[in-house]
Amino acid sequence: MQNEILFFILSLITIVSSLVMISAHRPIDSALSFIVTLVSIAALFGLLNASFLFVVQIIIYAGAILSLILFIIMFLNIKDENLPDEKYKNYWLLGTSLIIAPFSAILVDLILRSNIAVNAAVHENFGTIKDVGLTLFSEWVLPFELVSILLLVALVGAVTLSKKEV
Amino acid sequence: MNTVLILLPLVLTILYSLATVPILVWMERRIAGLIQDRLGPNRCHIKGVRLGGIIQSIADMMKLVFKEEFLPSHIKNKFYYLVAPSIAFMSAFLTFMVIPYADTITLGEQTYSMQALPTDLGVLWFLAFAGLGVYGIILGGWASHNKYAILGAMRATAQVIGYEVAMGLSLVSMLITYGTISLNEMVSYQTQSFFIIPAWGIFIQPIATIIFIVTAFAETNRTPFDAAEGESEIVAGYHTEYGAMKFGLFFVAEYIAMAASGALIVTLFLGGYQLPYLNTADLVNNFELLLWGIIIFALVTSVLFLKWMQKHNIFAMSGINETKLYTTLIIGFTVFAVILMSYYALANSSQSAKEIGVMLLQFAIFTVKLFFLHFVFIWVRWTLPRFRYDQTQKLGWNILLPLSLVNIFITAVVVVAGVNYGN
Repeated sequence: MQNEILFFILSLITIVSSLVMISAHRPIDSALSFIVTLVSIAALFGLLNASFLFVVQIIIYAGAILSLILFIIMFLNIKDENLPDEKYKNYWLLGTSLIIAPFSAILVDLILRSNIAVNAAVHENFGTIKDVGLTLFSEWVLPFELVSILLLVALVGAVTLSKKEV
Repeated sequence: MNTVLILLPLVLTILYSLATVPILVWMERRIAGLIQDRLGPNRCHIKGVRLGGIIQSIADMMKLVFKEEFLPSHIKNKFYYLVAPSIAFMSAFLTFMVIPYADTITLGEQTYSMQALPTDLGVLWFLAFAGLGVYGIILGGWASHNKYAILGAMRATAQVIGYEVAMGLSLVSMLITYGTISLNEMVSYQTQSFFIIPAWGIFIQPIATIIFIVTAFAETNRTPFDAAEGESEIVAGYHTEYGAMKFGLFFVAEYIAMAASGALIVTLFLGGYQLPYLNTADLVNNFELLLWGIIIFALVTSVLFLKWMQKHNIFAMSGINETKLYTTLIIGFTVFAVILMSYYALANSSQSAKEIGVMLLQFAIFTVKLFFLHFVFIWVRWTLPRFRYDQTQKLGWNILLPLSLVNIFITAVVVVAGVNYGN
């Protein structure tokens, strides 16, 4: 019961803050509500016993990436008159949500049809660092290494792009 | 008993973080006085009782609390301006939740963890919430709408982000050494010994220790890395526009962050709540012997302290005679403690009484080590001059980061090659 109440509160926060993130006029409002979204998603992970994901979500997304984004937004020093006049924003939002609606319907249908048992008992070590690490390095070594090469390429690319102007 | 033992670590967290702030401010001022060959604040008193100057910090706290809440009229984003100090405060406070203050204690069937948050996330939890603290600084600087504040916030953010990398990497080498991320298991690892040297982090991983301590100074914006609030260049940095308790929250948050990193350094590198060579089971088994040792130690130290106090507490205030009061208190407290301890040492006390006694001793050991670390923090602040901003960045990226990577490599090679530290 407690878990359900917490889940509803957290998912309400997540949904509201992600809506604010999309619809906010100023970039700083968007970035800050994105932080709220990420932290509440992290809390949802925590609720699902995935403690490692919970901590990693906060360290990587909320702690590192978003603080860099905020840093850049602060650096740009955007004034209100610099922002574009978003006259048709509501129509855009309405249009895109109409386009996305069928896909969401499929997704909901899939979730309803799938046989994921609600409240299924997970084994004791589920989501702990040891378990995640063992799974990652035994069953998923190849994808893991490929992803890390991808990240390395992106890193090198960022460095070369920013070096060009010197 | 059940509720008490669950609430105890929470209460201790509040004591170690919030309640030590006035003591830290006092230590900061008196040690600054000691280093600069002056006295520091020692006149403020309540009816003649000065407590060596602690009353001054209490007066300062009262001033911050009762000052008028003033909102500068040029602030446009009032919500962000107001929420920034509480984010800084909250994340600093949350980092404290995973520090173990004593070993897990088993009474009858139940096992209680002496961490405020009984989780095995340990170090990762600390990193997560230390990282979130940046938002308080960024938001505070940005919402203040002031060039000095923005510059200060940028310096602080760039510094924290840069040093977080080296801090994380130095922690990785500690994780490889200990083979666990749970802080409690790290502490029990450190009770082993290595020939005659205790297997403390500081002895088996000196490079990681140095890197971690340096990055901890930078993370908490303490001198020599406090260019973010360099008063000769940018007034007070990101909290230039803050007053009253809004400033107070930033101020307290900084001290709590310092206390939390001190506590983590104690846990990771200085053996945590344990005495060298002795683990919890040894302490519980030799409880009577231990108590007699403590009694002798208490007698000697209180006699020495009494002598020292009577020699130095010569400044006469109006009101009650301070020296007399302190003499009575010290003698009374020592006699009370000695009688209590000898009762437990003589009476054949039960297993749970022994365990609780050892737990209290471990709190005391942790506190002593923590305050030693606070002393080091303050000592460094009043000894070293401030780094220039570009020097701070260079030290972080060009020296500490490669050094910590090399350290991880060496540690990994040693661990894989099968050399077992300790034992």
